[in-house]
Amino acid sequence: MKTKHILPAVFLTPAMVILAVLALVPTVYAVVISFQDRELSRPDGQFVGLANYLSLFSDRRFINAIQVSLSWEVLTVVLTLVMAIGLGILLFECTTPKVRNLLSLLFLVPVILPRVSAAFVWKFAFHPLYGIITYPYKALTGQPLDLLSNPLTALGTVALVDVWQWGLFFSVIVLKLLETLPPQPFEAARLDHAKTWEIYAYVAIPMLKAPLISLAFVKMIESLRAFDLIYVMTRGGPGISTETLDMYAFSQGFIESGRISYASSMAVLMMVATSIAFTFIWKRARI
Amino acid sequence: MSNIVCSSVDKNYGAINVIKDFNLDVADREFIVFLGPSGCGKSTLLRMIAGLEEISGGTVSIDGMAVNELEPRDRGVAMVFQNYALYPHMSIYDNIAFGLKRMKVPKAEIENRINAVSATLGLGPYLSRKPAELSGGQQQRVAIARAMIKTPKVFLFDEPLSNLDAKLRHHMRVEIARLHQKLQTTTIYVTHDQLEAMTLADRIVLMKGGAIEQVGSPAEIYEKPRTLFVAGFIGTPNMNLIDVTVARGESGWLLRTEGTDIHINGDGLDLKAGQEAVLGIRPPDLVQTASAGENVLTGVADLIEFHGNDALVTFKFAGKEIGALVKASSCPKTGERVTLSFDEARIHLFDKTTGLTMRR
Repeated sequence: MKTKHILPAVFLTPAMVILAVLALVPTVYAVVISFQDRELSRPDGQFVGLANYLSLFSDRRFINAIQVSLSWEVLTVVLTLVMAIGLGILLFECTTPKVRNLLSLLFLVPVILPRVSAAFVWKFAFHPLYGIITYPYKALTGQPLDLLSNPLTALGTVALVDVWQWGLFFSVIVLKLLETLPPQPFEAARLDHAKTWEIYAYVAIPMLKAPLISLAFVKMIESLRAFDLIYVMTRGGPGISTETLDMYAFSQGFIESGRISYASSMAVLMMVATSIAFTFIWKRARI
Repeated sequence: MSNIVCSSVDKNYGAINVIKDFNLDVADREFIVFLGPSGCGKSTLLRMIAGLEEISGGTVSIDGMAVNELEPRDRGVAMVFQNYALYPHMSIYDNIAFGLKRMKVPKAEIENRINAVSATLGLGPYLSRKPAELSGGQQQRVAIARAMIKTPKVFLFDEPLSNLDAKLRHHMRVEIARLHQKLQTTTIYVTHDQLEAMTLADRIVLMKGGAIEQVGSPAEIYEKPRTLFVAGFIGTPNMNLIDVTVARGESGWLLRTEGTDIHINGDGLDLKAGQEAVLGIRPPDLVQTASAGENVLTGVADLIEFHGNDALVTFKFAGKEIGALVKASSCPKTGERVTLSFDEARIHLFDKTTGLTMRR
């Protein structure tokens, strides 16, 4: 009996130790230096208490970054889910099994593509002079269309690329989820005077509530890590109109001033805020 | 309320023909049971009438109107599924109300109708619960309520009791029978359970391999099976089937088996000398007798199954297992010799090659 209890522990311990070291050490270190005034240009640092945190709240660029991050989060999560559900239903309703499998395969490609490559491809597609997407506008009006340099459209344009990657992938997941549902409630609904859209709105989607909420969570966490995509496409610009929190922390820590402690305090704040927010949403969603 | 007419209905899946030239008239208010073994096409046929499967050929009309091209919702049918098919995320109330809401029935009327239906089916206390919180029998009652509330022209039942345990099945069978007595809605009921078919049906449609074997009242099908398949399928315990050869006797006919000859006078039977046939005798038609005279089956009882009032005695005769249903009080013991006689009017005779009855 006893060996049964020990054996799993023996196997688990090394992996857990490595994981703890890899995950905890940088986190703890970040927390520690967020209370100091370390800079990249100096080897030493003093403990300054909450000074970094306090100055964050009078930093207008930080407030802007929060707004951008929130808009990015809402925009990408909502659009991805809307696209995934819409396209998933379309695939389920309108395609033969062969076409369905082929399209599923195609829809998986964008998400397999490394994010940086995808970003470069799309950045070129949006190029005001040579881009394929902006070409029709240029041909019709004679004016170049520069979506990525316009503060009003830049974030939305980058979000489109994110939705292209994840919305197509999630639509395949939604399709597979729909395929796993028992057919009888649909048939019952068809006999119950429900039109096709009513079957999905009142029967299919509510039956998939739990997995769809999980998908939303996955996308929320994924959207927090969109640094590479935004970095390649706009570098936070024009101005600071697409500068998310992680982007701002990065530029504070490494690009502009090397204020590593200030950047760390931002990262720690983000970690705390997201942990609280996700715990809260998770608890609410489960009820 | 209305009649249903199926004329030359076919169903193909690619090159596979699962329903062949199906013709049936269901009268208004009739309770029809489609009975047959698994895979005989009875559920497919029901789903074609409901509109859930496409009709490959022929016409289905409900109330005098061809419905081949109509959506399921426009056919005026309501269906109860084997696995209930309730909407799992909705309360019982919403499950029952779903169809009426889609039909844009006013809220107050929905409420009244649900109250009436749930009173009939005893669902009052459960209206606010979710389907998963109810037992199988209650769930099936909800499914029936959901079908009933739309006051359809036709009720379709697809093996509604197959997922329930034996006791509940009996109980629900009685409820369905009462409901039909009360509502008098034309009903088609699919089952593979002959007991359900016998007890519920006005007429049974016995199917095999996508075609009708026999249509008739339960008594007709039991007493006058048209084919060997029907004879074997209907009746518990199963009919005893013995291979015989027909021969001319001194006064009448002989049915030759291994060992014994059975004398019959052949009234009402189409007999030809030398014909290979199958003799069918139902276990309750075999009576214990003391005399070892003519027309008796004898053997050594090797298994006794106690059924309560009766007991099923099994013995070997002419290389076949024969069962006889005898009074439990006069039941022989295992290993004893049994002698059983029968009434010639109660026997069945089938042509061995065509499987058709030889009764005129």
